[in-house]
Amino acid sequence: MRMTKIYEGAYQWIMLGRDEHKPEKIIDTNQYMVRTANRCLLIDPGGIELFAPMLAAVLHHAPVEEITDLFASHQDPDIISSLGLWDQALPNAKLHASALWEGFLRHFGCETIEYVPIPDHGGVINLGSTELQIVPAHYLHASANFHIYDPHAKILMSGDVGAALEAPGMPVFVENFDMHVEKMRYFHQRWMPSNQAKRAWIDRVRKLDIDILAPQHGRMFKGDDVKRFLDWFEALQVGIAV
Amino acid sequence: MQVNQTKSQFVAVASIAAELSAVMEVAKEISLAAANAKAIAFRAGEKAKGFQPITDFINELAKDTIELVNNINEYAFHLYRLTVNEQRMTEACRRFEKVGQLAVGARYADSLNAPLQQVRQRNQVCHREFIIQVSELLIKLADVMHPARAARVIAANSRIEASQAGEYLQSLQAVAESVDNAAQIINDKVHKCRSALTIINVAE
Ligand SMILES: [Fe+2]
Ligand SMILES: [Fe+2]
Repeated sequence: MRMTKIYEGAYQWIMLGRDEHKPEKIIDTNQYMVRTANRCLLIDPGGIELFAPMLAAVLHHAPVEEITDLFASHQDPDIISSLGLWDQALPNAKLHASALWEGFLRHFGCETIEYVPIPDHGGVINLGSTELQIVPAHYLHASANFHIYDPHAKILMSGDVGAALEAPGMPVFVENFDMHVEKMRYFHQRWMPSNQAKRAWIDRVRKLDIDILAPQHGRMFKGDDVKRFLDWFEALQVGIAV
Repeated sequence: MQVNQTKSQFVAVASIAAELSAVMEVAKEISLAAANAKAIAFRAGEKAKGFQPITDFINELAKDTIELVNNINEYAFHLYRLTVNEQRMTEACRRFEKVGQLAVGARYADSLNAPLQQVRQRNQVCHREFIIQVSELLIKLADVMHPARAARVIAANSRIEASQAGEYLQSLQAVAESVDNAAQIINDKVHKCRSALTIINVAE
């Protein structure tokens, strides 16, 4: 599992991904970790197949007892089917996920971990020394869907929004936006169901100060590419299957 | 090895559940046959006097069987929950060991030792509980055999009583026949349950 530090301040953001042991037919995912002095948040910790490499990577930065928070942007298996294993590994952890998905996510096994239901309007994740915002992103693509915004690090973890499907081992940041567009188009057109939801999200996100837009698949966007992405997404017609 | 073990537990528990629901169906059939026999015996009046208490008895047996099976179903469900838990913990042990291999040299690799030990322990406790529940279930299953056996004896008596029922002979004989069949099916199904459970015990 490759680890890339994307923010370093009083705490750190680390992107984990590009795992070379990943079984071939499983979609490649990016996981994110926010590490403070004594706590650790895992954002979209990933599928069951990724659990071992993911935890092994995290153990370079934090002991299990300091992994105190998990966040699931939505209920997809590539996001959180590893829940049942985290549940047995982490002695004191909370899972922050939509209230709407609780009955579904518990199918993965959630006995030890405390399920903290997020209401539709969002909320915060308090990590003691810092606080992150939970931003609604409903219907993008799941009917209850959230992103994480860190106003301090200026990072927006945007779940499946901004995702791209490409060959394994690609770089972690977009280098040429125009060339990247084709790797995103079909994914957004097909997986994102609602133009209305898309517009609401764009209006909301344009008000945020963002240095890095960090999706769950593909490459991250930084600097001007963030605005380029928002413009491109705004103009895109989604929900093409009907 | 452990993974295969929970797999065979799943299969055993599922087949027990299937056999039990079949037993339930048959017990309901018996109670229907009893009601039917009662109606015939009533119409036959004097001629089927000896048959009337038998129908009540058949009905009682069917009720006993249904109650026992309900009770056993709870055991089977509990066994299923235990198997799910065990399977989850076995899987967790396997994945944690994999983390251990991948995390060699990681600063906090040792922090996983405690959770791994705990899962192993819980897994053992769960498996022991499973074994205990299986042996209790075997005893309960033996209990179901009793009414089924009694039903066969009663069926034989019914045939004798039926022979004195004149024109009702045939319908009463049919009742005796169906009770006998049903009892035999229950016997069969319960045997299947027992051997499914024994396979797990042998796998131990
Ligand atoms: Fe998704
Ligand atoms: Fe995804």
